[in-house]
Amino acid sequence: MTRAARLSLAGRAAASWLVVLAMMLPFLWMVLGSFKTARDFLAFPPVWLFRPTIENYAEVFADNAFLRYVLNSTIVAAGATGLGLLLGIPAAYAMARWRRTAMGIVLLAARMAPGIAFLIPLFVACLELHLVGGYTSLIASHLIFTLPLAVWMMVGFIEAVPVEIEQAAMIDGCSVWGALLRIVVPLTRQGIAATAILAFIASWNNFLFALVLSNDTTKTLPVAVLAYIGYNSIQWGALMAAASIITLPVLVLALCVQRYIVRGLVSGAVTG
Amino acid sequence: MSGVVALVRPVEAAPRRRPWRRDWTPELLLAPALVAIAAVMGFPLAYLCYMSLHKWSLIGFAAPAFVGTGNFTALFGDERFTNSLWRTFYFTALGLATNLPAGLGIALLLNRAFFGRGLLRALLIFPMVATPVAMGLVWVVMLDPSLGVVRYLFGLVGVADPPLWLSDTDWVIPTLVFVDAWMWTPMVALICSAGLAALPVEPFEAATVDGASAWQRFRYLTLPLLMPMLLVAAMLRLMDLLKVIDIVYVMTGGGPGHASETINLYNYLVALSYDKIGYGAAVALVLFALVLAGTLGLIRLRRAA
Repeated sequence: MTRAARLSLAGRAAASWLVVLAMMLPFLWMVLGSFKTARDFLAFPPVWLFRPTIENYAEVFADNAFLRYVLNSTIVAAGATGLGLLLGIPAAYAMARWRRTAMGIVLLAARMAPGIAFLIPLFVACLELHLVGGYTSLIASHLIFTLPLAVWMMVGFIEAVPVEIEQAAMIDGCSVWGALLRIVVPLTRQGIAATAILAFIASWNNFLFALVLSNDTTKTLPVAVLAYIGYNSIQWGALMAAASIITLPVLVLALCVQRYIVRGLVSGAVTG
Repeated sequence: MSGVVALVRPVEAAPRRRPWRRDWTPELLLAPALVAIAAVMGFPLAYLCYMSLHKWSLIGFAAPAFVGTGNFTALFGDERFTNSLWRTFYFTALGLATNLPAGLGIALLLNRAFFGRGLLRALLIFPMVATPVAMGLVWVVMLDPSLGVVRYLFGLVGVADPPLWLSDTDWVIPTLVFVDAWMWTPMVALICSAGLAALPVEPFEAATVDGASAWQRFRYLTLPLLMPMLLVAAMLRLMDLLKVIDIVYVMTGGGPGHASETINLYNYLVALSYDKIGYGAAVALVLFALVLAGTLGLIRLRRAA
């Protein structure tokens, strides 16, 4: 490598580090803030070095309801993920092995439709059926994005499995369902795990559906965190602590499925 | 990136000969998912269309009254609706104009191996997976006009009186676009990165031998070759920019005044806060049509490219 080339590479590396680290500032600020006392929080210019306190976390967890919201988020995300995979894997198998394009178009429409278009009628229907505020309505509404996500992700994973293995099994008398359960599912288990994590994150992060379809006892974390920011008072430290508790598990999960994140987002993790 | 391509043109695997007889098995496999889709998507959309033709209220005892296309014609005279529409277009245009160049820029920076590149790529996924509501609130704290760290950082570079960001009617949309860009530019960057990694080497070698400058290679080789991927990224961003609501809801609630009320937020307020279900359904259909039109337009552009 010539001197000039080495210099330009160093410049590129420095610029990249600078840009990406600058983008991490909100995370740093969130975690720092969660350990600040109210006094440190209101200091200007802001303090970067301070005596940390765990008071904010204590305050968040002292509120019994918060653990309840963690549980709610977990139940809804696990339910929507499990159900999405259960329904999505056979459908993905059909799409990967027999071409069923119509299904793809339906799922693409689901990716484009605004969440509110499903939400208004679902809310009215759930009122009629007395389902508002129950886990059923929340889990069912989250299927709107976990199911397309599961199908799109799994089509890719299943297509990567050589069809010859299934053909051989079928010649030996294995049924289609047997091939799916005994060959395809075990061979794509990593893909299934990645899909499950992505669907879980999407459901965990969802705000709008929970805002409308949950009540005080079933609301999920993104809705609950709003309580820390009122019209005239913000509980700064507790807000940052709650935000950290909600966000950090997602970041850890996301790192496990780094390679598939973009694919997951493309296939329908976001519904506004 | 097969997922990206698959989104635009669903399954196009080469037709393979099956050893098994053509029967109803695939339909049986699809059936559970189809039933669920019909229940949570098909039925709501049909019900939404039905609602949009009625004057519908949940409070009180008045039965829904059929009004034909009345809700849709009323939209034209609703200034708050038309304003939210233009505001959403402004938001979307500003979002696309910032996300795409910035994302491409980051992808180009990361296009050579250097110390820590893998780590930086991993960090890039954080803004887009972190819970948007939580991060929106963190940004509210950071953007606080008197105590926020953003004001402090501006002070460091000599800007003593930065705008009031979310409290300023002229700045609130650009500020929200900035926060949205912080979340989603990494996705554009990663899509472009995958595109760059798949570019053929030969044209670039030939261009270098022929004495093309770095700018010429970018302008006449990288950019056109990357265009399909850029359009995929643009399509995804377009869909979500038109539908933006979460961060607006938690960061400004549409304010100050109605200065940041996007069409999706207005839709939410009209239907679920003001109890005008039928009218809200009409707004939702218009929004759906907008996203559909925008996406199909870009798909057509991609086919042409």
